[in-house]
Amino acid sequence: ECVGSMNTRRRHGPRSSQEGVYTGPSQTQFQLAPPLETPRAIPPVDNSGMSCRDRTSEFQSVCKSLQGRQNGAHAVKPVHTAVRQRSDFTLMAKRIGRDLSNTFAKLEKLTIRNANAVLKFVMSTLYPIPSVITVAKRKSLFDDKAVEIDELTYIVKQDINNLNKQIAELQTLVRFRNSPNSRHLQTHSNTIVVSLQSKLASMSSDFKAVLEVRTENLKQQRSRQEQFSQSAASTTSFHNSSLSNSVLMQDDSKKADISIDMDLRSSQQMQLINEKDSYIQDRANTMQNIESTIVELGSIFQQLAHMVKEQEETVQRIDSNVEDTQLNVDLAHAEILKYFQSVSNNRWLLIKIFLILIIFFFVFVLFMS
Amino acid sequence: MAASIREKQTAALKRMLNFNTPPLKNTTAEPVWKVLIYDRFGQDIISPLLSVKELRDMGITLHLLLHSDRDPIPDVPAIYFVMPTEENIDRICQDLRNQLYESYYLNFISAISRSKLEDIASAALAANAVNQVTKVFDQYLNFITLEDDMFVLCNQNKEQISYHAINKPDIMDTDMEVIMDTIVDSLFCFFVTLGAVPIIRCPRGNAAEMVAVKLDKKLRENLRDARNSLFTGDTMGAGQFSFQRPLFVLADRNLDLATPLHHTWTYQALIHDVLDFHLNRVTLEESLGSEAGARPKKKTKKSYDLTAADRFWQKHKGSPFPEVAESVQEELDKYRAQEDEVKRLKSIMGLEGEDEGAISMLSDNTAKLTSAVSSLPELLEKKRLIDLHTNVATAVLDHIKSRKLDVYFEYEEKLMSKSTLDKSLLDIITDPDAGTPEDKMRLFLIFYITAQQPPSEGDLEQYKKALIDAGCDLSPLNYIKQWKAFTKMATTPANYGNSGVKPMGLFSRVMNTGSQFVMEGVKNLVLKQHNLPVTRILDNLMDMKSNPETDDYRYFDPKMLRGSESSIPRNKNPFQEAIVFVVGGGNYIEYQNLVDYTKAKQGKRVMYGCSELFSAAQFMKQLSQLGQK
Repeated sequence: ECVGSMNTRRRHGPRSSQEGVYTGPSQTQFQLAPPLETPRAIPPVDNSGMSCRDRTSEFQSVCKSLQGRQNGAHAVKPVHTAVRQRSDFTLMAKRIGRDLSNTFAKLEKLTIRNANAVLKFVMSTLYPIPSVITVAKRKSLFDDKAVEIDELTYIVKQDINNLNKQIAELQTLVRFRNSPNSRHLQTHSNTIVVSLQSKLASMSSDFKAVLEVRTENLKQQRSRQEQFSQSAASTTSFHNSSLSNSVLMQDDSKKADISIDMDLRSSQQMQLINEKDSYIQDRANTMQNIESTIVELGSIFQQLAHMVKEQEETVQRIDSNVEDTQLNVDLAHAEILKYFQSVSNNRWLLIKIFLILIIFFFVFVLFMS
Repeated sequence: MAASIREKQTAALKRMLNFNTPPLKNTTAEPVWKVLIYDRFGQDIISPLLSVKELRDMGITLHLLLHSDRDPIPDVPAIYFVMPTEENIDRICQDLRNQLYESYYLNFISAISRSKLEDIASAALAANAVNQVTKVFDQYLNFITLEDDMFVLCNQNKEQISYHAINKPDIMDTDMEVIMDTIVDSLFCFFVTLGAVPIIRCPRGNAAEMVAVKLDKKLRENLRDARNSLFTGDTMGAGQFSFQRPLFVLADRNLDLATPLHHTWTYQALIHDVLDFHLNRVTLEESLGSEAGARPKKKTKKSYDLTAADRFWQKHKGSPFPEVAESVQEELDKYRAQEDEVKRLKSIMGLEGEDEGAISMLSDNTAKLTSAVSSLPELLEKKRLIDLHTNVATAVLDHIKSRKLDVYFEYEEKLMSKSTLDKSLLDIITDPDAGTPEDKMRLFLIFYITAQQPPSEGDLEQYKKALIDAGCDLSPLNYIKQWKAFTKMATTPANYGNSGVKPMGLFSRVMNTGSQFVMEGVKNLVLKQHNLPVTRILDNLMDMKSNPETDDYRYFDPKMLRGSESSIPRNKNPFQEAIVFVVGGGNYIEYQNLVDYTKAKQGKRVMYGCSELFSAAQFMKQLSQLGQK
């Protein structure tokens, strides 16, 4: 009896539907003649390779025509200007975001310059320089826009420090602006702060990587520089400067400089060696700067981690209190148990009680008799 | 189409989240903070594709449901991603009146009608917020992509287009129209996002044909309108290497009812069958161990996401389960080795201070330590994934062992391939500890569906009695009887191909390695490649083979000028790409079969879609509803 119903219904020609426009699954209404007088203007489509359709201009034309109809009806309400004012938080966040992207751009430039310098150096090692070339020229070969890179490094370092401070300010602003009835706003603000922090952290680690590459490059350059020089003094200075390379002994480089000056004043190749000295000094200074920058970056990382940890605390606080309480209760319980044990197992106690009982018994008996 | 549908849909979503401009690659762009508002449809579409972290990277600070209480955040733009239904439009108008956000970017999942657009316009005028509605877009994203090559139509109102809804005997014409419109709209969105106009083939005389006719018409209308066409050269040209159009095969569920009831043996399909697996998220109930007597066992629900980034999952989701168990064990061993390596490094560092303390050794160990530190997140991630798969696989294994699913699987494979049976059906049904009543009912239904001749009255009574004793509900059987009678009239019964299931004896190998997956008593069954009916139909159509089953299929080409009533295929070359869509519902077994088929054929790409994704249990429920009418 139901077999016939399982035959799907044959559609003899579709019903006329307008433009295949979807009217929602809960309705079967079809489009009838449009209610507006103005003919439906088909908006020009600018798909430009996108698989969606822009209805904004259609919307705006609808608004205009509706407005035209209603113009006589009621007075125009003033535009809400409240929404145009941005809160302090948003302004500050926007500023930080802009600064971040600027610093990112500078960091990219620095990376490229550094990479170029490394490449140049590598090429120079592949094609060794004959010793005929004067020191000046040699120096220019090694002088790989070091000044520019150093400047950029300094600027980026300052920027990162600034950004760190700004984000810390932003976080305090968020914390103090804690209004109880807008939890969404709170979540929104917190998310922005965390996102800015993570962006800064990733930028700092990129910066650190660039600095490490540069340090390595300078080390290689210095060792190659040493290969070209023949005098023994340079080897001692090499030792001195290699000592100055170590992270913790930054003071020694100054001592090394002084010792070099005193040793070589009487040397014939004073000029050459002095030039070399100053060059080595330059390099040493640069290394120093880089190392101090890395140390500063380390402190920035720590601060960021602290900030992130602080954020975690608002979630963890309840949990940790519960754990503490649990711990205390357990300890107390253990203590009581111990006491109970000691009380129950103490033979001495038994004997004492027994003795007291006997004494009382005797006293009682003696009294009675 | 070199990019998969998942990539395309993700790209479309990211573009939408970037205020409908293609996102730039550079990181120097200034971050713009925004709020994302979606309804349940939008949520289902976004959640398998973009994680919260990816949303944050794109500057989304908050993601909220449309119909929830939302506080005003007056200086932030808001992106809406909703379906253009009455209630949603009302809520948007309410938001406009309440001045919740600074600017509004309205994106509708499928095309919004003119009247609703006017509703929004009038509300915007009344609230004087016309300038705040910055953009209105139709996104054409009304489908859910679950895998690179698999999609379903919807999750939220799927009862409306379920198998039951389409096949119920008292269905009205208007209802059917609505269902067809819904399906066609989603398929249209799918092709717009894919950026290709397919060639459509469908069988005659069922719901699939109706869908094909409507879809053809819709595509044709859109192509005609040259100014407004969504299939301009740009969308199609981008990244497309083959100039051939894909083949779109529409199949109807009624063609093969045994596969949705089948017990399975591959990892993903098993998870979908026995666990709660929904939109790539599996939910397990885990009971915490009870502490010393006092507290009762607590059951917690833990859910895990099985994503594209999980390499183990991508590699093994189609593997037979024993292989999966072995692989998890291997991964665990590898991870332990790496962990020991890191620990050893730590101890070396500890001892190091007493030794030479040479600078070189320090720097060398520092390098090792930094590399170890940087690889720590990777290690932790790996551990998390291994834990995930261990838990999931253990849960699946529990089900297999308690319900003896391997026995069912083997028997059903034999039934479906018409090979000799070593046990009688009655034995399995009357066996008290082999499977739940549902399993037994499934087995019996498959037997009934695949039998060449229906069983005799006496046998049938015997079976029925045994089933009722086991506690089964017999209403699905009524429906299957009707269905069988109908399909016998219409077409030849489906042939399930020759599958060979070779049991490899008891699983001694795994036991010997002392793994946690002790599969004693569970047979290690090896699947031989065989083609389910849907795969076979696809094979015939894609390679233009002549076969009595598919010769009768209709042919639609929306790009041709004349509306075609003919069934003569104009295209003589075999297709390189195909999309298979099953009207009435599908499952992971068919998907896996298609994936295996594609792997065997070089250079072909196949995508699978269905109107809804149901597990065998859900399908049984629909069948019993149908059988009770």
